[in-house]
Amino acid sequence: MKLNKLWLATLLGAQLAVKSLAADNTDTNRDSDIEALKQQINALSQRVEALENQQTANQQAATNAATGQIQALDQKVRVLARERELDQEAAAATAKAAPKLSVGSSGFIASSADSNFVFRLDGVIQVDSRTFFNDSAIKSNDGFLLRRVRPIFQGTLYRDFDFKFTPDFAPSSGPTIFDAYGNYRYEPWLQLRTGKFKTPEGLEQLQEDVNIQFNERSLATDLVPNRDVGLQLWGDIAGGVLSYAAGIFNGVGDEQNSSNAAFENEVEFAGRAFAQPFKNSDITALQGFGFGVAGTSENGTSGTKDLPNTTGGTLPGYTTDGQQQFFAYSATTVANGEHWRLSPQSYYYYGPLSLLGEYAISDQGVRNTATGAEAYLHNTAWEVSGGWILTGENASFNGVTPLHPFDPHNGQWGAFQVVARYAELDIDDAAFNGFANRATSASAAQAWSTGLNWYLNKNIRLNASFSHTTFTGGGGAGTTAPAIVTRQPENVFFTRVQLAF
Amino acid sequence: MKTLLKILLVLALASAAHSKEISLLNVSYDPTRELYTEYNAAFAKFWKGKTGDDVTVQQSHGGSGKQAQSVINGLEADVVTLALAYDIDAISQQAKLLPADWQKRLPNDSTPYTSTIVFLVRKGNSKNIKDWNDLIKPGITVVVPNPKTSGGARWAYLAAYAYALETFGHDDAKAKSFITKLYKNVPILDSGARGSTITFAQRGIGDVLLAWENEAHLALKEFGADKFEIVTPPLSILAEPPVAVLDKNAKRHGTMEVAKAYLDYLYSDEGQEIAAKKFYRPRNETVATKYAANFTPLKLVTVDQEFGGWAKAQQTHFADGGTFDQIFQPQ
Repeated sequence: MKLNKLWLATLLGAQLAVKSLAADNTDTNRDSDIEALKQQINALSQRVEALENQQTANQQAATNAATGQIQALDQKVRVLARERELDQEAAAATAKAAPKLSVGSSGFIASSADSNFVFRLDGVIQVDSRTFFNDSAIKSNDGFLLRRVRPIFQGTLYRDFDFKFTPDFAPSSGPTIFDAYGNYRYEPWLQLRTGKFKTPEGLEQLQEDVNIQFNERSLATDLVPNRDVGLQLWGDIAGGVLSYAAGIFNGVGDEQNSSNAAFENEVEFAGRAFAQPFKNSDITALQGFGFGVAGTSENGTSGTKDLPNTTGGTLPGYTTDGQQQFFAYSATTVANGEHWRLSPQSYYYYGPLSLLGEYAISDQGVRNTATGAEAYLHNTAWEVSGGWILTGENASFNGVTPLHPFDPHNGQWGAFQVVARYAELDIDDAAFNGFANRATSASAAQAWSTGLNWYLNKNIRLNASFSHTTFTGGGGAGTTAPAIVTRQPENVFFTRVQLAF
Repeated sequence: MKTLLKILLVLALASAAHSKEISLLNVSYDPTRELYTEYNAAFAKFWKGKTGDDVTVQQSHGGSGKQAQSVINGLEADVVTLALAYDIDAISQQAKLLPADWQKRLPNDSTPYTSTIVFLVRKGNSKNIKDWNDLIKPGITVVVPNPKTSGGARWAYLAAYAYALETFGHDDAKAKSFITKLYKNVPILDSGARGSTITFAQRGIGDVLLAWENEAHLALKEFGADKFEIVTPPLSILAEPPVAVLDKNAKRHGTMEVAKAYLDYLYSDEGQEIAAKKFYRPRNETVATKYAANFTPLKLVTVDQEFGGWAKAQQTHFADGGTFDQIFQPQ
């Protein structure tokens, strides 16, 4: 703009100079021309200045408008970004509040967002085979069988109330309820359970069916109760350093499973204390050491239901590893009065090593209804078993989890464990003074077993084992158990395919 | 067998007798995190000295309305320290965890401290925001949380409404028109006060944040006094955040005694000092005088005076189909 002014002034100056040179004829004409030119210059200056101001104002307005638009757009972008952020937070909160569903090696689990309500579906299928050797007198004991077919429904209601329901579809007699109970968990160390569940007694019996090392539990388990209906106070103190259980039950015979109802005046008391003093210590070699004692007591037993079996009865009685009856009370023998049991027990797990042992005493009052004779019998049993995992996994009371699950494409074969066991059961000699037949029933049995367990993964396991049982007494005339069983040692080869989830 | 049972019983009792770890859950509203962090430590020290027991207070924070609903839905709070009495009334009525007259159990209607709603603006206050009527001007962007979920937002809404009622001679139509214009300047609603502070201070949205007084001071401290300044309007509302023990939960947890003591201690000199230092207006006059410099004087109206109590205010303004639903249109 300054250049324009300079150019205009120069032009006007030149015009003045020409005029002054060309025509100086009269002063009047010259003065008027000069004045006119001055006015023209002023007018032009004002016009130029106005144009300049207008241009500046326009530029400022444009700048202000652009700044305002940018700020408004910036705010809109920020608001949109924040809205997206809030939407994401809301979505995350919604997801957090949504029920959770999982399917995996631990089964099917559905739970509310806060885990106060949980439903879990597990199951176990065991397909066994039993092959007996050198038992030509027994024709119908070999074969395949479905040992357990159990869907397991369990869960939690209102955070503190647990339940479990386990039917078994394997028994040939039809579906049977094994577990059906509710449990109130005030704290881990103070819980109350009622319904049908395992009586707190035998260590091997209390181990989950899917985790026992052999197809069948040992002779020691013949002397402890299986499942019964009752009420139990129990808990794990200090994270399981000490566990206790104390309950009242209907009472069942040795190795028996409750028929779900028993109406009688007397009840059975059962209690168990089990300590793992080093469980939470730094002494790793002793963390898996546990020991305890359990017992039951019932007065006023009567009838045959409180006995392990009677000849011709429907209950399995004292049986061998091959699940053959080797001892039975005579048909006229009934329970009579006191029945108590005691079972000191212990286990030790360290790395691949597992050891488990228990002693069982079952003292039982009996009466022969035909002769009126009475006796108080002292039956005992014990077992010790051990295992070693060849593939480096840790053994535990709660099973084995392979480090390298079966996947031959990648050279993984799962876990292998060798196991061995020895067990004895001794019947009180007084039992044969009119309460059992010495000619047919054995007064003692001794069994050793060995086997190989192949854990393909956490859910699938294959077993193969062999058991040899010898008998003291029995083996007399007869075509049915126990005479036919005790006539020769029992040699049985087991296999199992187990699917547990 | 009897001996065994006795042994087990003794073990169980011995275990219980040695349990000196006490845990409380305080379900509170959004901006009280810092207050209760400091207060909980002070109370734990007090309780340890008094009883020898260790008490740990767990904190849960969120929009006051949402927090109340969580408790109603089963969140096992021993005590609640919420933004307004209506939310605790809802817990009493719907979950029956405490009696209906809970507010009479502690002094000052169970409100150990008070607060109010102020403006937090950007440094320099370029929009020259001084009073509530500045908030309805075109081009002003206001940040405030959602009164459906936030107690602080309900206080802010009622503060603005009270201003309008005072200004327009209690002409409700004009007050409604005023509040409509104000919320037209609100671009986004967070669910709680802390979220709105983040929106304004960290995300750079808006010209003014309607905030709890203590939250505004906290923002200055946290984000820098060189970035924001507090504008206290000549008139605002007296916010009275209440506290209460949830009897049924506390009894079930065995924490009744310590829960009561926890709330009682809020009224102690130390409790009041902690509140004042965190910019909550203390009830204790001595402490209030000592910390008077923290609080700009202003005219404070109450919900009872202007709106006939919380129940009526809730029904009229914040219930589904209420005034807020009528006037607010998400942008």
